[in-house]
Amino acid sequence: MNDFILSGLIFTPLLAALVVLLMPIRLQKPMKAVALLGTLVQMGLAILLYFRFDGAALSNGQQGYQFVEKLNWINFSLGTLGRFQIEYFVGVDGVSISMVLLTGIIGVIGVISSWTIKKNVKGYFLLYLLLMTSVMGCFLALDFFLFYLFFEFMLLPMYFLIGIWGGPKREYAAIKFFIYTLVGSLFILIVMIGLYTSVIDPAATAAQLGLLEKGTAINANAIAQVQQLLQQNTINSAEMVRTFSIPAMMEPANFIPGSLLHVLSGTVLWDLPLRFIAFLLLFAGFAIKVPSVPVHTWLPDAHVEAPTPISVLLAAILLKVGGYGLIRIVYPIFPDAGAYFSVLVGGLGVLSIIYGALCALAMNDLKKLIAYSSVSHMGFVLLGLASLTAEGVNGAIYMMFSHGIISAMLFLVVGVIYDRAHDRMILNFRGLAKRMPAYTTFVVIAFFASLGLPGFSGFISELLVLVGGFSAPEVTGLLPRWLTIVAVFGLLLAAAYYLWALQRMFFGKYWIFPELREKAILTDLNAREYLMLVPLAILALLFGIFPHLLLDKIGVTATGFTELVLQNGQEQLHMVLSSMRR
Amino acid sequence: MELTQLLKPLAGTPETTTALVVLLLPLLAFLVLYFFGKRLPRQGDWLAIGVTGVALALSVYLFSQIWNTTTFHSRSIWFSLPSSIVADFTAGVLLDNLTVLMLVIVTFISLLVQLFSVGYMHGDEGYNRYFAYLGLFTFSMLGIVLVDNLLLLFVFWELVGFSSYLLIGFWCDRPTAVAASKKAFLVNRVGDIGLLLGLFAFYTYFRTFDLEVLRTLIGAGEWTANNFILDYTLNGQPWLLELTPLLLTLAGLGLFMGCVGKSAQFPLQIWLPDAMQGPTPVSALIHAATMVAAGVYLLARCYAFFTIDALTVIAIVGAITALIGALAALTQHDIKAVLAFSTISQLGYMVMGMGTGAHDASLFHLTTHAFFKAALFLNAGIIIHAMHHAAHHTHGHDYVNPQDIRNMGGLRKVMPLTFYTYLLAAAALVGLPLFSGFLSKDAILSGSWAWAQTMSANGNSLYFAVPLTGFTVVLLTAFYMGRHMWFMFFGSFRAPFEAQAVRVSAKKEIESVMAVPVVLLAILSLGIFFSLNPLSFNSSWVMRGVGLEALATQGALLSDKLLQAVAARDEVNHTAHLMIGVLSALLGVAGVGLAVGKYKNKPAEALLHEEPRGAFGRISFNHFYLDTFFNTIFVKPALWTATTLYRVDKRVIDFTLNYGSKWLVVLSKIIGWFDRLVVDGTVWLIGALAKVIGRFGRNLQNGKVQSYYAYSLFGFILIILYIVLF
Repeated sequence: MNDFILSGLIFTPLLAALVVLLMPIRLQKPMKAVALLGTLVQMGLAILLYFRFDGAALSNGQQGYQFVEKLNWINFSLGTLGRFQIEYFVGVDGVSISMVLLTGIIGVIGVISSWTIKKNVKGYFLLYLLLMTSVMGCFLALDFFLFYLFFEFMLLPMYFLIGIWGGPKREYAAIKFFIYTLVGSLFILIVMIGLYTSVIDPAATAAQLGLLEKGTAINANAIAQVQQLLQQNTINSAEMVRTFSIPAMMEPANFIPGSLLHVLSGTVLWDLPLRFIAFLLLFAGFAIKVPSVPVHTWLPDAHVEAPTPISVLLAAILLKVGGYGLIRIVYPIFPDAGAYFSVLVGGLGVLSIIYGALCALAMNDLKKLIAYSSVSHMGFVLLGLASLTAEGVNGAIYMMFSHGIISAMLFLVVGVIYDRAHDRMILNFRGLAKRMPAYTTFVVIAFFASLGLPGFSGFISELLVLVGGFSAPEVTGLLPRWLTIVAVFGLLLAAAYYLWALQRMFFGKYWIFPELREKAILTDLNAREYLMLVPLAILALLFGIFPHLLLDKIGVTATGFTELVLQNGQEQLHMVLSSMRR
Repeated sequence: MELTQLLKPLAGTPETTTALVVLLLPLLAFLVLYFFGKRLPRQGDWLAIGVTGVALALSVYLFSQIWNTTTFHSRSIWFSLPSSIVADFTAGVLLDNLTVLMLVIVTFISLLVQLFSVGYMHGDEGYNRYFAYLGLFTFSMLGIVLVDNLLLLFVFWELVGFSSYLLIGFWCDRPTAVAASKKAFLVNRVGDIGLLLGLFAFYTYFRTFDLEVLRTLIGAGEWTANNFILDYTLNGQPWLLELTPLLLTLAGLGLFMGCVGKSAQFPLQIWLPDAMQGPTPVSALIHAATMVAAGVYLLARCYAFFTIDALTVIAIVGAITALIGALAALTQHDIKAVLAFSTISQLGYMVMGMGTGAHDASLFHLTTHAFFKAALFLNAGIIIHAMHHAAHHTHGHDYVNPQDIRNMGGLRKVMPLTFYTYLLAAAALVGLPLFSGFLSKDAILSGSWAWAQTMSANGNSLYFAVPLTGFTVVLLTAFYMGRHMWFMFFGSFRAPFEAQAVRVSAKKEIESVMAVPVVLLAILSLGIFFSLNPLSFNSSWVMRGVGLEALATQGALLSDKLLQAVAARDEVNHTAHLMIGVLSALLGVAGVGLAVGKYKNKPAEALLHEEPRGAFGRISFNHFYLDTFFNTIFVKPALWTATTLYRVDKRVIDFTLNYGSKWLVVLSKIIGWFDRLVVDGTVWLIGALAKVIGRFGRNLQNGKVQSYYAYSLFGFILIILYIVLF
């Protein structure tokens, strides 16, 4: 059954990167071909995985991973402190399958878009492929340490890709991106260490205790027995096998009694239980990545300075790591705090929706406008997640996928005009529709897809998120209704900034800023650009008209996740608060 | 009652499949024409028209199968979320009287408008694109009327808005057209927000969007003293709903918001006059006959979901819209502006009819209005086309605005066909007896009268303001149409070229491809086609087909009690009916008479330079300054907020960040300084000290016996001193 397809997904680009590394610098064309091949294989594997993935299999974010690969990586004894264990633990469930598919597709689009890179081709594709490996690793890792490793490793290639191949203010943007994300990962690191001190791996501990014969399969009884012993405080610390496994962290029974992050620990910091602080730290770490207002200001700068393909990757995939982290790690491990802070998370989501949209309205730089629209759209992810309804969470995941496709299209479209005119200020152009009709068609498609026109995938995701948010007070009792009502106005604002941009830049009499006239050669789309835009447009339509293509894969997991988090959340919230009072 | 049972898939029938074919044909035309139209002979207009013709034939077939006989409903699962509290999201086709009536209207008018466009748009560089967009529009509009649930209805609702955006902005190098298309889309989105929230409200409580299931659920519930109570099960889990009237009213008003946007009701009607920037046939199809009627259709489809309070609001909004539209139409000079404001006013009528329980009368008016208003717009198109043509070909007159009725006059002599067809349609709009408009308008007025009587039973006679507004609007309508007709067709021709120039040739007034649709539509403005007795709406087949009885088969309506009472009251209003008919006819004649009386004796010069006069004139001409109002209250503050927030980003968040990092640099400088001076300094000091001590020690050992002797003596003395002293 297990044919290491996930490892294939992660390491194919790395392999391609090695090949690129060994090639002499002058072989630029073959280098591009190798990069294309690497990402094509990765996409092929992702599509294969999509078809082989059983969407109906029961899973809830805690159990039911498919194609699991679990290898011991680092494992040694710490004496009386138990055993230290890091695993190479990867698997896929409904949440990750959508992201894997997205990463595969965008990876190829990005390479095609990078075809015109001239400066230091070798270094560029090397970093690009490294980035693809680490992103894919992020989406597949089930061991927190492994996840963190990939998460941190994304930073490095990204920093250089912006800092070397970027626009005029690239250094400022790169360092800003770097610092923001690094601060975020520090928060995550702190909590990760905290979790490590608090959680054991029940299966490995059972083996350690001798409850399992060597070589026999793990059975539920042994695990339950270990968990029971653990909660009765009868396991000797030296016998505990500590772990970074995310599924293990999701189960409150795996937390060592008296440890910092145990539900009943009663530890209080600044009048908040330590678990809540941990949630907030993790949330902050991932919110920077999402990005959510008010920690979003790295995004417009990074986008504006990054070269087109890197903007595409950044918007389409890298932002998703934030939302993915919230779904994979933050909520399942701290469901109690998730329930407790739902208004905060949902409120930040709505704030991002409105704030991002209003900022986009004020933009004169087309790329910045789209960057802010990303902030606005990612707000929907937070809102959907905070509602903890089946519709909201499915919608949040759908939004991440759909935004990946549509924002890729948007940034490519900006790249087209930037390539030709070396400028993308809205007010420097007018009436482009007359000169570049095919281009304008794709701009209209991308804009309307992004503003949530039914028929495109964006509509389905916004609909699900909003309906989930709206019904949350009745179903989960989590969010106040006015939040969602405010969020709906984001749809109006989205229409406003896109249509205004269309009006100013593409319609009307043809005109172009005099200083640009000499350099700008406004030819319509070329074959390479069609090759990128057409598939994306088709995908946006496909997933807009047949949402079951994706929902059938993610639905069971997303709903299972929702119910687990909601149920655990309410139980644990009660316990946390009661332990505080004691 | 188990919801999933109610929502189970229903197998398709040949009829529903036919309906799907009708739906998809125009989409096919859109795709083919948009992508390959340039390569087809005649840029594919024959394909678009042929496809619409087939759609019309199939619609007529469906009409014959379904009207007053049976209904069909097919449903399948669109997508599903596995959860115990979510039922499947379904998609399906619902065919009943209302659907097939709308099907025929939409395909028929779409066909005629496309035929007309062959002449009107001849030689336009976006010819194929134009027909493609019309196909997209027809597809979306058919979608609205065919689907069986609110979610899909919203989907097509948005698509209609999108195709309207494309068509208004069809001449995308005209800044006014582009601005108008943006405005139309945005204003419609405001309404759509309400619609969406209404949808969410129904979904939150009833867990489905399916119209029939919603009606069944509502029918199963009952009103207690304060609340609406309903219980059902979903996946075996019991759901007990206790909904306050306020909540239901708000949900209903949310749905109504959609209608306010799309059907140009107060206060969102501001987009419709601007939408006239699109090609005139588009105005005929979309902004007169079909799309703007979608809001009224929505009200009819969701009639069961409105509480009494919601209906009251709807009635009042409709009346206000009817009045404002008519008042604004009084002073317009643009031929299309008059018709646009008249459309707003007539839509107000329909909505008022819906609000006052005259559901059937309102749909009847929708039908008659679709024909006569399309006729008027297409005729206006002919006149604009002719005037433009004439101004262009008689040299040096390009400055003459071909749409300004002040430049026209006496056209009845040179364009007799246009005149007579316009006359027929205008008579229907004014509501003169024997014409279709008379019947439907009369039906609405009677209905609203009965409603006012019922509502004011408790002594509050303010409700009579609604029907009285209706009567006032009859007078106003007659006046502005009289004025309109007088300016265009009577008196003398006022443009600076020969009136004969407006004809295609001495023998031919217009191309026959444009004449045929207009003549057909004008003939359909006669009352006889809608009611065997053209003086009484009681025998109208349309009204009988879409009466409340047809609607209530699935269960009760939320405002059942009121509607029954209104119907009962209407039943016994024999004298009132007669009076209302006579009065509205008299008002119509009086209005026309007043207009003719006012303008008959004015010299051509005065007509050419007529400007709105006085405070009222300016208010009317500027549409009550609603645009200015919205700009100052919403648009400008929104833009101001946008720029301010961006400044917050730059000056607060980034400033803090940059300032913070600057301090970090300063701090690290300080630490660096500390490192160099204190830490390094200490180390250096120790080293230096050792050096000093070492040098001192080295100096001691200079190899001279005298020195060693002196040192030991000195040491000896020190030891002695120590012993002595301590």
